[in-house]
Amino acid sequence: MEALGIELLNGLGLFATLGIVALGLGIVFGLMGVINLAHGEFVMIGAYVAYLVQDGGLNYWLAIPAAAVVLFFVGSAVEMVLIRRIYQKPELTILATFGLSIVLRQLAEILFSKNSRKVSNPIPGATDVFGITFPTYRLVLIVVATLIVVAVLLLFTKSRFGLTVRAIVANRGLAESSGIRTSVANILAFGIGAAAAGVAGVLVAPLVSVDSQIGLSYLPGAFLVVIVGGFTRLWGVVIGAAIVAAVQTGVTHYVDAVWAQIAALVLAVVMLQLSRSGSREVTI
Amino acid sequence: MRLNATNLHAGYGGVPALHGISMEIQSGEIVALVGRNGVGKTTLVKTLMGLLPVTDGELLLDDQPITNWAPSKRVRAGLRATFQEKGLFQELTVGENLRLNGFEPNAQDAVLEQFPKSLSGRQSQRAGTLSGGEQKMLAAACALKTDASLIIMDEPTEGLQPSNVEVLGDHIDNARSAGRGVLLIEQHIALANRLADRFIVVEKGRVVEASPADDPTIQTRIKKRLAI
Ligand SMILES: Nc1ncnc2c1ncn2[C@@H]1O[C@H](COP(=O)(O)OP(=O)(O)OP(=O)(O)O)[C@@H](O)[C@H]1O
Ligand SMILES: [Mg+2]
Repeated sequence: MEALGIELLNGLGLFATLGIVALGLGIVFGLMGVINLAHGEFVMIGAYVAYLVQDGGLNYWLAIPAAAVVLFFVGSAVEMVLIRRIYQKPELTILATFGLSIVLRQLAEILFSKNSRKVSNPIPGATDVFGITFPTYRLVLIVVATLIVVAVLLLFTKSRFGLTVRAIVANRGLAESSGIRTSVANILAFGIGAAAAGVAGVLVAPLVSVDSQIGLSYLPGAFLVVIVGGFTRLWGVVIGAAIVAAVQTGVTHYVDAVWAQIAALVLAVVMLQLSRSGSREVTI
Repeated sequence: MRLNATNLHAGYGGVPALHGISMEIQSGEIVALVGRNGVGKTTLVKTLMGLLPVTDGELLLDDQPITNWAPSKRVRAGLRATFQEKGLFQELTVGENLRLNGFEPNAQDAVLEQFPKSLSGRQSQRAGTLSGGEQKMLAAACALKTDASLIIMDEPTEGLQPSNVEVLGDHIDNARSAGRGVLLIEQHIALANRLADRFIVVEKGRVVEASPADDPTIQTRIKKRLAI
């Protein structure tokens, strides 16, 4: 019973991490059709921001707003410099963001060397949840990540900005013809997507060793989530994260971790096949 | 406000559809643009709005070159268009469509009580589920009720019941009285005759006739061009 409870909390932790990492990917893909292979490096930058904040003697939690701001500007700049001219060419956006991911990793190695850095746990210790002892920081991570995902989703679905974004997704040409500056919305969406990745990086930093490679470990899972959740609705990220987390945790529990990865991949392939029929319509 | 097109060329993927159109429209007048199917009327609308790039020629708004402006920038400068097809965000509600055109929820009843009246109180219906005629009327209202100085309307009466054609005609007439300009692309020749100050006839991507409505020969020339 207790083992199951721990798995449940592990699963929730995976769900929250996957959700917040996949959020930005989902936004950028859903809105602009861009497959951003540098998204994992945005997570990496966020983790380094956490390291720098702590290293500078500041409170760890300050890293969340700091990373959000830094990554918002990084994301906006990437949109303006790299992506803007190649929206119509998906294969170029993949190549460009792949190139960017290499450059960002190299940059991290130049700045921080190949040695990994340690971000210390801001809330050490454990808490009793219904008789199960679980690390407190992981519980906080579940809550904070979920809150941030929900807040961003509400921004995109309920606010005026969200309405504008939905109009652009529905019909970009008509949106422009209604006076919406779609180029500005693109920058904001890219910036917000990157900011979410940065916050994800801050949140996972105390649980891992921070080095230039950490983005690589988050990207495949995040893509799985976006694929499983479907591309048409942003809330799909939550559903996708829930399904992937449930499958991975479940299979890990009952079989082992390798089969969990395989099961998640099979799931993604099945979802891709199912979604083939409902392809995206582009209109002017 | 005045929009000037000079020697406008545009097309699709290297296949030209406009072969040097020159025309102008200004505030306070209604210009009826007519032509057979496929001569490039809708292409002209897209080009004037900036949805299709100009391959040659120039567009001036009050003597300022706008050829490379984004559509949204033109809209902010006072230009608007209604489209022949897909003039509404299908997946969004009536209320959201109005909101995107600048009518906040508290201003929407005032718009819908004027026209299209049948949509009063139906703000939460998805626009894609409105009937074809209802969609056309709502799209026209979205443009005519803004404060745009120049409005381009691509066959706004297509599929409307006769009484709604008259209602829409009244609103277009009112727009002119309020000092705004309308470029009216219309197959409904009776409506064009009722409203137009000037006529433009397009054939194969070129302007082949341009005359004031009181030119005694224009009617026979239009009939000949349109084979009616
Ligand atoms: N998206 C497109 N791709 C390729 N060719 C197009 C496209 N849209 C229009 N055309 C072609 O451009 C020409 C002009 O079309 P356009 O829609 O401007 O005509 P129209 O005058 O508006 O006709 P209608 O009276 O039927 O609305 C036509 O030959 C048409 O086939
Ligand atoms: Mg047409």
